Amino acid sequence: MNRSLVILLGALILCAALFGGSYAISRRVCQNCMAKSVSDLDWLQQEFNLNDAELARIQKLHEGYLPKCADMCAKIAAKKSELETALNGSTNINPLAQQKLTELAALRAQCQAQMLQHFTEVSQTMPPDQGRRYLAEMQRLTLGLHEQTESSMSGSMDHEHHQP
Amino acid sequence: MESPPPLKPMNQENINLDPNDARLGTLLRASRVSPTLPPRFQEGVWRRIEEADAPAPSNGGFTWLDALAALVLRPRFALATATVLIVAGALLGVREGSQMVKQDAQARYLATVAPHSLR
Repeated sequence: MNRSLVILLGALILCAALFGGSYAISRRVCQNCMAKSVSDLDWLQQEFNLNDAELARIQKLHEGYLPKCADMCAKIAAKKSELETALNGSTNINPLAQQKLTELAALRAQCQAQMLQHFTEVSQTMPPDQGRRYLAEMQRLTLGLHEQTESSMSGSMDHEHHQP
Repeated sequence: MESPPPLKPMNQENINLDPNDARLGTLLRASRVSPTLPPRFQEGVWRRIEEADAPAPSNGGFTWLDALAALVLRPRFALATATVLIVAGALLGVREGSQMVKQDAQARYLATVAPHSLR
């Protein structure tokens, strides 16, 4: 094999190792350093450039919201358990299961409304531009998944309807 | 017009070896043959000189590989390349790492305020 070719291949391998090694090490170091001080609200402060006073107000809202959220989650979990019991062994959706489904949906809607209310309150403690961006981002992250699923499903149904 | 003196037969006594003899010089100049050069003679000479000066091509055709290998083996080039690669890798790693941390932090915040059952 040509000596020059061997030298160049070796150099390429060495280059790849140097680049890959420095990339992996720096990424790990960066993750370790930045992850040390992360709390639940650090993302908010960094992403929306909040000062300490704004963060303190949001912290208060956040702490007030968490017990309500936990309470709603517990109610939803209990209702899901009731639904499973109503569905247990049944091959059809009986009236009791239908009722539990309706109650579960109502609880979820109530929980979502409470969550959106919290997002609105948080957005109002931020500077107006950041607040609008926060609200849009939260709605996209929490409600967008449903919209995506629904639009994709309705798209596939349309497609099926158009088929002969 | 005066006719030249008759030539005498050459023998040991009448050989003229004097380099300053005008008659001898005239005779020698008249007898010099100046052959005509072939067409584009000078151009051909220069072309052959240039061909002789140029490095002989190797039979494998890998001269550019050899040149590249020689470049790679230069310490300054190798050091500069290694430095650039390490710095570029580190910058990219820091960028990726910070993005991953940001995504983790966002996911952590969302998990506290928006339970999975609602998303």
